[in-house]
Order: sequence, then structure tokens, then C-alpha cells
Amino acid sequence: MTGNHIPDALANRLATATPPKLAARVRGLSDKAIAWLFITPTMILLLAINIFPLIWTIRLSFTDFRANRTNAVVKGIGLDNYTSILTDPDIWAAMQSTAHFVFWTITMQTLIGFTLAYLLDRKFRGHGFWTTIILIPMMLSPAVVGNFWRFLYQPQIGLFNYIISFFTGVDPSSFEMIGSVTLAPWSIIIVDTWMWTPYVMLICLAGLRSIPDYIYEAAEVDRASTWRQFWSITIPMALPFIMLAVLFRGIENFKMFDMVNLLTSGGPGSTTEVASITLKREAFEKWRTGFSSAFAIILFVTVFGLANIYVKALNQVKSR
Amino acid sequence: MAEVILSGLHKAFGQTKAIQDVSLTIGDGEFIVLLGPTGAGKTTLLRLVAGLEQPDAGTVAIGGWDATTTPPSDRDVAFVFQQYSLYPHLTVYENLAFPLRSPIRAMKEADIDAKVREIAALVRIDDKLNNQATRLSGGQMQRVAIARALVRSPSIYLMDEPLSSLDAKLRGDLRVELKRIQTVLGATILYVTHDQIEAMTLATRIGVMDRGQLVQVGTPREIYTDPVNMYVASRLGMPAINFLPLSVFPGLSAPSAAKTIGLRTEHLKIARSDSASAMGKVTWVEHLGDQDYLHIDVQNHDVVTLSDPDSGLKTGDMVRLTPALPLYFDGAGNRVRA
Ligand SMILES: Nc1ncnc2c1ncn2[C@@H]1O[C@H](COP(=O)(O)OP(=O)(O)OP(=O)(O)O)[C@@H](O)[C@H]1O
Ligand SMILES: [Mg+2]
Repeated sequence: MTGNHIPDALANRLATATPPKLAARVRGLSDKAIAWLFITPTMILLLAINIFPLIWTIRLSFTDFRANRTNAVVKGIGLDNYTSILTDPDIWAAMQSTAHFVFWTITMQTLIGFTLAYLLDRKFRGHGFWTTIILIPMMLSPAVVGNFWRFLYQPQIGLFNYIISFFTGVDPSSFEMIGSVTLAPWSIIIVDTWMWTPYVMLICLAGLRSIPDYIYEAAEVDRASTWRQFWSITIPMALPFIMLAVLFRGIENFKMFDMVNLLTSGGPGSTTEVASITLKREAFEKWRTGFSSAFAIILFVTVFGLANIYVKALNQVKSR
Repeated sequence: MAEVILSGLHKAFGQTKAIQDVSLTIGDGEFIVLLGPTGAGKTTLLRLVAGLEQPDAGTVAIGGWDATTTPPSDRDVAFVFQQYSLYPHLTVYENLAFPLRSPIRAMKEADIDAKVREIAALVRIDDKLNNQATRLSGGQMQRVAIARALVRSPSIYLMDEPLSSLDAKLRGDLRVELKRIQTVLGATILYVTHDQIEAMTLATRIGVMDRGQLVQVGTPREIYTDPVNMYVASRLGMPAINFLPLSVFPGLSAPSAAKTIGLRTEHLKIARSDSASAMGKVTWVEHLGDQDYLHIDVQNHDVVTLSDPDSGLKTGDMVRLTPALPLYFDGAGNRVRA
């Protein structure tokens, strides 16, 4: 078992790094015992807050357990929860909203984030100042951002409607971002993009900075135009970073809850009801704990599977 | 190929004066080798010719037109960088094809392929064409860097220590190959090296640099036999030239300004001698395989020469040294001609 080698190696390193006095005090314990002593608390913590709930959720997903009726007899109902989820059109609608939301936020954040990073990488005067300014939205609490944008989206007094009307000439009170069936999904996409583009930008900037100047010098001498340098050097060399940003944002937005809950709570109707909102409703409004456990497992497997495929692709790009 | 004329070039990085008043004409088809210790400004001079640095003063003319403010991509120069600078995300093949794919050239894919394979075979990297550029040894990377320059026919090749990380055998082979290419194509080359043999065998002319200045330019023969100062004299020759105060040889009829005498092997007659006429003592005979270095102690100065295999001199022998047409230098180290 390779598992045994890690504590061994760790223990050896600890033993050599331990000053003599301490070594004397813990004498009587073997190196291996010391290693386990250090590792065990973390292991217990991990088991208690990660592994155990996961296993418990899997168990619950095969039952009709309801958390608000703890005295009722819990029946095992096999795969019933799973089949009813996969045949429920509301669930599929929620998955579709989620996919729509993930797709557009990632597309917009990557495009804008990369463009900003590319501009900031020109190292013009004051680029440090602008980097800081751009990063501010990301540092705010989602609760603040949500309430702040609800205010901006106000049709009568909101700045957002006013600015749109200023540029397009439409009457500011003629449309409602949060209240309209067609615009509500976009109101969330806009806020999420506003808040998280800086994050994507930061990762892209790290990618661009990792390309050494001499590569561009070589390309310049080889008579490559700026356009060609961009497509044959900048993009391929920054690609692993861009893909990493997409992965982080993708996983994050797949389970996006706070912003949607604050802005639209899934409404109007169920137009912005993404998977996590549905999950919350099933679990804590309808109290179908078994059912929502099954749904959580399905979501988990989906994200996990997609992320795995994606990481494989990422590694392929990176090892090129 | 083209003539490149540098005139009055100056370049400073903050307080460091990397290049000071360098003027040099690199004739069409000429192979000029720059020699100089580390930090002398050799790389900076190459970068100025390529346009990767802008001079503070002076001009760079390529093929008859003033290219001082022309961007690198419009100068049509090929650069073999000291640190290779390969495109790490591309294969060796793609690295070599990259300069040929320039839209300015509009080369056909079949022609590109033929050229890449031809040059790859020339520098013996053809078995690694599909390797990632980062998955190569240092010597292999260096050969790819050379090949990436050789696929092109630029107005001038700039090569910054291109053979430095190759083994002796390959270095010798590529040296011959470079010389052949240069003669066949009539290529103009500005080349940096620390290797004397490369300088002597490749150069039509050698430029010796010291602290940003071009101290002397001349044929390898001129630089070797007729150096302008002690610094240039010490650049070439194996073993290195010996400098002794003139007072060591009291009977010599030297020019009046001379303070130091420079002696190479061919400037010395050494004869075994005992008694009063002896001037030095053999302290060590260094066997280098095909030749022996003789270390002689002359009034606490270590004189190193090639030993005549027939002389039979050995450690402890007392010898007499007679200078024959040596080089004289004044108190400032400048050459004094007899
Ligand atoms: N980009 C730079 N910024 C600041 N100083 C520089 C820069 N490039 C070169 N220098 C300085 O200019 C001087 C000449 O450097 P250069 O690289 O031309 O030396 P070199 O002759 O090529 O040396 P080597 O044989 O070690 O390659 C050095 O003192 C170096 O520190
Ligand atoms: Mg250099």
C-alpha cells in the first residue's frame, strides 16, 4: 500500500526536523506513531464534515425521509426518488436554466476578463491602480451586491434603467429587469458577470504574465505580426489559465444560489429557478428530504463528471 | 544578404553603459566574430542590430537604408538567442516552420516542409522533429535555435554563442558546417563566442569588445599578431600571452615608452642553462595530451609556454629565456611599436 509510505516519509522528515529537546520529550513514541498523532485530527474532521454527510445523503436518497417529521417511519423506496426526478419536467426546466446561466456567465466573463487582462498586461501608466479598481466587485459580500443591484434595477429610480434609456432612448420605466420573464435571467447574468469578471481577469493576467518576453522577441524577429503573435503565442500559452478560470467559474455557477436568491428568488414564476433554488425548495420548503437528497446526488455526480472530463482536457492542453 | 553599417552606437541601461560609441561595417557576406568577457555588451550590440533595443544615439543601416527606428519584424534579421528562446508550446517541427509561415513570405506548405527537413538534417535534429520543444536536452534546444535561424535567408544572421552547450565533437562539426553555409550562401553573420578556436576559424574579421567599446577590429591574424593593447593581446592565444615587466630583460633594446613586454610561445627562445646566465626555473610541465605547457618561474613571475617536445626540459631545470621580436606595451597598457 502506498498509503503507508506517505506517513513514513512524513515521519522521517519530522524526525530530522525536530530539535533535540522536543525529540527527547516525545521519546517512547515511534516515528510512525508521531506521524499518526499529527494526521488523525485532520482525518477525523474530514470524515465528520465531508465524508459522513455524503454517505448519509446517499443513504437518505433511497428513502422517503422527511426532516420535519422525524417521528414518522422511514421507508426504503429504492430508486423511486431518482426515477421521479429524471422524469420531472420542472427539474429539467431547472437544469436548463442552470445550463443557460452557466453558459452565458462563463462566455461573458471569459471574454471580458481576458480582454481586460490583455489590456492591463500592456503595463501602461497606472495599470496597478486600475487593476485594484477592477478587483473591487469581487471583494464585496454577495449580500451587499445583491441588495445593491436590486436597487440599481429599480425601474423608477434605478440607475441601470436610467443608463439604458440614456443610450437607447427607451423609457426607463417601460421595462423591469427583475420582474420581466425575458429579462430576469439576464439580470442575474449581468450581476454575476459584474462581480466575477475580475476573478477571471486575475487568472488570465497571471497566465499572460507567465509568457516570457523573449518568446515575443523571438516571434518579432521571426517576422510575426502582432495579430499572429496573439493567436499563435498568447492564446495557446495562456490557454491552460483561461481553462482553469472557466473550470472554477463553471463549478461555482453550477451551484450558484446566493445571487439568484437575493435578486429574484427564482421568479418571476420559475424563470430563474436554477437547480440550487429547486433543491432548496424541495429540501426546506416542501421538506422532501429523501427526494432532495437524490437530487443533490444527481447534481454532485453531474458536476463531478463534467469537471473530470474537463480536467482531462485541461491536462492535455497543459502537457502540450 | 546585405551589408550592415553601425555608426556611433550608444546604449545605456540606467547607470550601466552597455554600448559606447561602437561603429562597425559588416560587409556583405562577411563573418564577424565578437569576442569579449561577460558583460562586455556583445548581446546588447546584437539586440541593437535586431531592433530589440533602441540605441540612445547612433544609427543602424541594413542593406543601404537607415533601419534605426525600424521594428524588428521589418528588418529581416535572424537571431540565435543565447537562451535559445524556443516556442515552448510547439513541436520542434513547428518551431522551425514558424518563421517560414510568415504571411510576408507566402511560402507553399510543401516548400516549408522540404526546407524544415533539410535544415533539421543539417543540424542533426531530424529525429526529434515531433518532440515538444521543451522536451529536449540543452544541446538539442541549441541546435533547434540554430536551425530556426538557418531556415531563413535574412539580410544578416545574429548568433549569440550558438555552439556553447554542445559537446566538443558536435561543436567542431557544426563549426565546419556553419563556415560552409556561410561560404556557399554568402551569408552575412555577426557572431558572439567565448571560444578562441571558433573565433580564429570562423571569422573573416574579429571584433574585440571591452566594457561596451569595440577595442579593435581585424582579421584573426591581425588580432593575434598585432594587438593594439594588452587587453586585446590577452584575448587570443593558448597558452595566454605572458606579460613581464621590461626590467626582467635588462639587455633588451626596447622602444623608450615601453614598460611591459608581452611574450607568446613564438616570442621566446628557451635554452637549458646552468650557473650565472640562468634566468628561470621550470616549476611544472603540464601534459595536455597533444602538447605540453611549460611553467617557468622568472623572478616570481609565472611564464607559461608551449614546450618544444624535443627540448627534454623537466621540472627543476634552470633555463635562459631570450625574447624574439616580442610585443611592447606602455604604462597604460597600449601597444608601443618598435
Ligand atoms: N535589459 C537590461 N537592463 C539593464 N542592464 C542590462 C540589460 N541588458 C544588459 N544590461 C547590462 O549591460 C551590460 C552588457 O550586457 P550584455 O548582455 O550585452 O553582455 P554580454 O557581453 O552579452 O555578456 P555575456 O558574455 O555574459 O553574455 C551588462 O553590464 C548588463 O548588466
Ligand atoms: Mg550575452
